[in-house]
Amino acid sequence: MTKASEAKGNRRRPRKYSGRLWLAPALIVLGALSIYPLLFAVQVSFRTPSGYGFGNFSRLINDRLFLISLFQTLVYTAGALAVEFGIGLGLALLANRQFRGRGLLRSVLLIPMLLPPVVVAVIWRLILNPEFGVLNGTLRLLGIDTAPLTWAAAENTALPSVMLVDIWEWTPFLFLLLLAGLQSLPVEPFEAATVDGASKWQILRHLTLPMLKPVIAIAVLLRGMDLLRVFDQVFILTQGGPGFATETVTLYIYRTAFRFYNFGYAVVMSFVLLIATTVIARSFLRLLGRQPASA
Amino acid sequence: MKALLKIGGACLLAAAAGTTLFPFYWLVTLSLKREVDQFAIPPIWIRFHPTLAHYYDIFWVRPFGLYFLNSVIAASVSTLLALAIGTLAAYSLARFPRPEVSFWILSTRMFPPIVSIIPLFLMLRWANLLDSVLALAVLYTAFNLPFVVWMMRGFFEELPRDLEEAAMMDGETRLGALWRVVLPLVRAGLAATAAFCLVIAWNEFLFALVVAQTDAAMTLPVGIASRVTQYEIKWGAMSAAGVVAMLPVFLFGAAMQKYLVRGLSLGAVKG
Repeated sequence: MTKASEAKGNRRRPRKYSGRLWLAPALIVLGALSIYPLLFAVQVSFRTPSGYGFGNFSRLINDRLFLISLFQTLVYTAGALAVEFGIGLGLALLANRQFRGRGLLRSVLLIPMLLPPVVVAVIWRLILNPEFGVLNGTLRLLGIDTAPLTWAAAENTALPSVMLVDIWEWTPFLFLLLLAGLQSLPVEPFEAATVDGASKWQILRHLTLPMLKPVIAIAVLLRGMDLLRVFDQVFILTQGGPGFATETVTLYIYRTAFRFYNFGYAVVMSFVLLIATTVIARSFLRLLGRQPASA
Repeated sequence: MKALLKIGGACLLAAAAGTTLFPFYWLVTLSLKREVDQFAIPPIWIRFHPTLAHYYDIFWVRPFGLYFLNSVIAASVSTLLALAIGTLAAYSLARFPRPEVSFWILSTRMFPPIVSIIPLFLMLRWANLLDSVLALAVLYTAFNLPFVVWMMRGFFEELPRDLEEAAMMDGETRLGALWRVVLPLVRAGLAATAAFCLVIAWNEFLFALVVAQTDAAMTLPVGIASRVTQYEIKWGAMSAAGVVAMLPVFLFGAAMQKYLVRGLSLGAVKG
């Protein structure tokens, strides 16, 4: 609290407090619907079919399917994030100058991530269908053998296909954040480097990327957190199949809880996801606390 | 060489825009095609006989009108509640800063939804509130609240205190000053925040899927999902439903343009 408002508060006491109490409704709602459920979940985690105990925790270690779904989620997250970041950064660097239609490009790229993920998945199920989808249909016209292009319908191609949809939907997120970051960088260092005869690559490597680091970190952390919990698109595109090929952690937990009604074990697995996310979230918050990235 | 690079760059950007747009074009045309044309080999790109039969189908034969209404209720009620509660909290945090509380509020937003939805489902079932759109709206309120607090806190912090203090000198209460002086100044930010909340609630799937037990409480995404995971799928109807589900989002998109980057990064990057 600054000196000015303190002085003010002392002069007219009621005002000093009225503004602080306004925090209460928000804290009550979050307490009831975010914090209490979490504590309740701890209790649920000890529920097993045969009474309360540690059964759910020991089951976790021996659950091969859970480990596979965890591994596939990590592959999905790392793979999609790497491609989305690469393409997003490339496009942002290309678009980081004045040209006609830049506003339009920004608006167009904005569309996929605003759409309901369910709709996105429906669109891509239609496009990727190996027999009657427009993608294979077009490739066949071009004389390409589409027999190996099974997309989401076969075990070996399903996971990359689901990642492809994610990349289509979310690369614009990284593009827009990185572009905003690029545009907020000061001009002088770049002018100086050009005068000194630095090459484009040197400028990118030693100037642009280091200066962009806070924005890169925030964008990658936020996207990574969302990727780890992926559910909607996979649920619509493949339901985790064929077989177990695209099962992700959230999907597996969902099935355990709401298909097999084993809430205790589902909660224990969800805690693993929570811990993984917390590590990322904490780095995000630390980054935010250290320097308001006012890019 | 330089010109060549420039043209190459422009082509790449154009390709990105084209790749982004084609799926939409395809969804819209599929929703207007007769069933025989939908999956014709080779695909029919441009010339087809348009029909509105699938739209008739979803609204008059299937209960998508009800799903639409449910989506509207869940999104608007939760947005209004989150804005009312969140704006007060944001103002409080902007004028009486408590960083640890701010971070705690933001951290509740980071919980993976699957972690909260299992205990929430058990709580709702215990209270006999499953299969209720209003219950869903309350869950969305808690979900959007941290976002509203962080966005609005940022907007309030950018305003000088003198304005509302002058108003309070003139005899306004703090609430009166907030309502009549401060809020009009952050109108654009408030609208963008509201648009974000609407989109997030409109698109949300997991909570809606868990809460809805029957048609009565299904939102559009759940209604679509319940039909594309069946054995036989009416793709014409599903593409029409997809078009209906994405239309409102375009309206909201216009409102959030200016604060897009800021909203997407939870206020961290001020684009």
